[in-house]
Amino acid sequence: MSIKKSVLTILQRKNAISTLLCKKYNLYLVNAPSVSFGCNKFSTKAATSQKPDWNRAVSEAEKIVGYPTSFLSLRWLLSDEIANVALHLRKLVGSNHPLLKTAKSLIYNGRNNMQAWGLIVLLISKAAGHLNVDDMEEDKAAGVLHSQRALAEVTEMIRTSHLVHKGLVNIQPGLYPEPSELNDMTFGNKIALLSGDYLLGNSAAELAALRNQDLVELMSSAVRDLAEAEFIGRRDSQNNPLPSVPPADRTNYAVTEWTLRNVLSAGALLGKSCKGTLKLAGHNEEIQEHGYNFGKHLALAWQACLDLSPFITKDRNTPFNVCSAPVVFHIEHDPSILMEIDKGIESVLNVDYTKVYDIVISGPGIELTKQLQREHSQRAMEVLSVFQESDARTALSNIIAAMGDF
Amino acid sequence: MACLGSSRLCARAEKIRQFHRNIASTALSTRSFRSSSEQAASSTGLLRRCQNFQNEHNCRLNVARVMSSMQTQQPGSLPDYRIDPYQLLEDDLKDVYEDIKRELIGNTTNEELRTIATYYFGGQGKALRPMVAILIARAINYHKDRNGLLASQRQVAMISEMIHNASLIHDDVIDQSDFRRGKPSVNALWSQKKVTMAGDFILAVATMMIARLQSDDVTLTLSQVITDLVQGEFMQLGSKETENERFTHYLTKTYRKTASLLANSAKAVAMLSGADECLSEVAFQYGRNIGLAFQLVDDLLDFVSSSDAMGKPTAADLKLGLATAPVLFACERYPELNPMIMRRFQEPGDVEKAFELVHKSQGLEQTRFLAKKHCVEAVRLAQTLAESPYQKSLFVVSDLVINRIK
Repeated sequence: MSIKKSVLTILQRKNAISTLLCKKYNLYLVNAPSVSFGCNKFSTKAATSQKPDWNRAVSEAEKIVGYPTSFLSLRWLLSDEIANVALHLRKLVGSNHPLLKTAKSLIYNGRNNMQAWGLIVLLISKAAGHLNVDDMEEDKAAGVLHSQRALAEVTEMIRTSHLVHKGLVNIQPGLYPEPSELNDMTFGNKIALLSGDYLLGNSAAELAALRNQDLVELMSSAVRDLAEAEFIGRRDSQNNPLPSVPPADRTNYAVTEWTLRNVLSAGALLGKSCKGTLKLAGHNEEIQEHGYNFGKHLALAWQACLDLSPFITKDRNTPFNVCSAPVVFHIEHDPSILMEIDKGIESVLNVDYTKVYDIVISGPGIELTKQLQREHSQRAMEVLSVFQESDARTALSNIIAAMGDF
Repeated sequence: MACLGSSRLCARAEKIRQFHRNIASTALSTRSFRSSSEQAASSTGLLRRCQNFQNEHNCRLNVARVMSSMQTQQPGSLPDYRIDPYQLLEDDLKDVYEDIKRELIGNTTNEELRTIATYYFGGQGKALRPMVAILIARAINYHKDRNGLLASQRQVAMISEMIHNASLIHDDVIDQSDFRRGKPSVNALWSQKKVTMAGDFILAVATMMIARLQSDDVTLTLSQVITDLVQGEFMQLGSKETENERFTHYLTKTYRKTASLLANSAKAVAMLSGADECLSEVAFQYGRNIGLAFQLVDDLLDFVSSSDAMGKPTAADLKLGLATAPVLFACERYPELNPMIMRRFQEPGDVEKAFELVHKSQGLEQTRFLAKKHCVEAVRLAQTLAESPYQKSLFVVSDLVINRIK
């Protein structure tokens, strides 16, 4: 019971913050239309010049589609099973199991926060509008269908489930000589596995309730892609990815490598969700394909932005992924950096990160990553110009613009 | 498992099949199938339907069936011949594993994922779930005057085995068992994270196959199975229930973990056959009762079977801290088991003591009795279907379940 209460308090507090932020709403609306959508040479640069703030872009967007999307999660957060999980989670406090970190990041993780994915789905739904749909099916105030709201929730559940499953620990013999620690880890794995399965099972049930089999197949294929992503390329003992050894001809090595990984692990889910929501709205195949491209490019731009951030902060101790875009671009430029990275073949923790950081920052990787992000942002923006101008479309372009804003 | 059929029985089964094929082309022999008054009632339904038939030939056939049912044959539920269902469905079942493998392999290009995902298909599995699903499908089709098996029904049989396998794979991550189906279990060969993802992958591919059946109700029915499985696992985690609630808790858990899959896939194949709600319910309840009996016997065998026959060590459940039916029954006679159940047999000597008390009590007999009750109910339900070799086999399945030794 007390857990449910505390969850509520957290959500209420979050709501209070967004209300505060919403007071700036009027001011913001005055600024927004000045971004010109009409012209085809629509560029991210124009939007960035306004210095849009990430949090503001997101909270404004949440207001456009009704209640904050984080409320979507309320229902499953308050279910008995999750209350049960929360009880078990408490037993893990003090242990080193990464499930706790995953749980924390689910509540808030800056630019990577979960709510934003459902939010994007709702915004594109509103931006595209819907055809020939029963009045009863529509959430008039928000301008989206109930089924689209459910799909947004499914998207969040699938993504969360995947992150939770990714957060298991590989327990090798001898890794935890202390029996109590081994117990903690085994138990943590159990809870992580079941919580992920719970979310996956519920997302399947929720999808089934939408009674659209093409949508079920589409979203299931996104789950499949996420699972497949975890098998791509070289892995250390904890399944952390390592960049693959480039072929003799390194042309396009970086983009191919990076895109393959990230389309499967991020682009497919957001792309297919955006496609699915347009399917629900009764749009034709062509528009649905636009939806897929929008979601895919947005997710890739997002990923490029995340990959970039450790190299932008000027803090050499920020942890980063050895498969992130700046690093793979550097490998294409000069594969000798692999000498250092390959020390992580057993565990990526053995890599000297400051050394890699220094090499990457002095090479072309950062500039190329910025370019990569711009390209994908641009592609996403191009798709947006297909839709009529609306507050939802403005919000989406603000979010894309905010990504480029450091 | 397919050990019941002696060569004599097989020959007989072959004869029955021959006989069954003849039904389609020639008028029915005088041999009677129907026995109870209940079935006589359902055959008047047949008569009515028959009057609407355009096909003269079919009509004559049905009249013959109705007439033949007027005379009763032998009393009681015992069939006059025994058919080994595995023999009967040999053609349907022989490629099930191969087809599942092909489906899984077609969904990824990653060799490692292919290997893990297909690992358990084609081992020493009994294929109980596909067998029951196909048997019910054929029995129901026959009941609805249709011969053969729909492709979609066979798909459901494959899907049920895939869902079962995904749950086995995830169980292995949790239980840390070393052997399953006569080979090293997946978690002994690959890391927990990869195994978890492979489970998610199988589930995703199964959901895609469900969607391709293009039936809203079938999708809803089968997605229920996935949520049931997870909730069953969650129930297995907690033992906070009081003594009174414990048995209900155990039965609900058993339904969710084992019977739901059999019940809902039986319901799904019935729905695909065009069965009405009442007939689907018969299929569902048959699957549910078989599933409950199966798990009860499984829990019983955990106390009596030697380790090599089971493919897993004896008293494994106790060692995992689980109180199954034999223990719960024994606890009525020996209340000192209560505290052991509450502490999940964690203290030294608990497992041995509990094992001994179960054998001293009537727990094993009572468990078998309960399983038998479910089998009798399953047979009663099968009797409401039209007589056919498949319907007869449904009786045999209940015998297989209750009499199995591994």
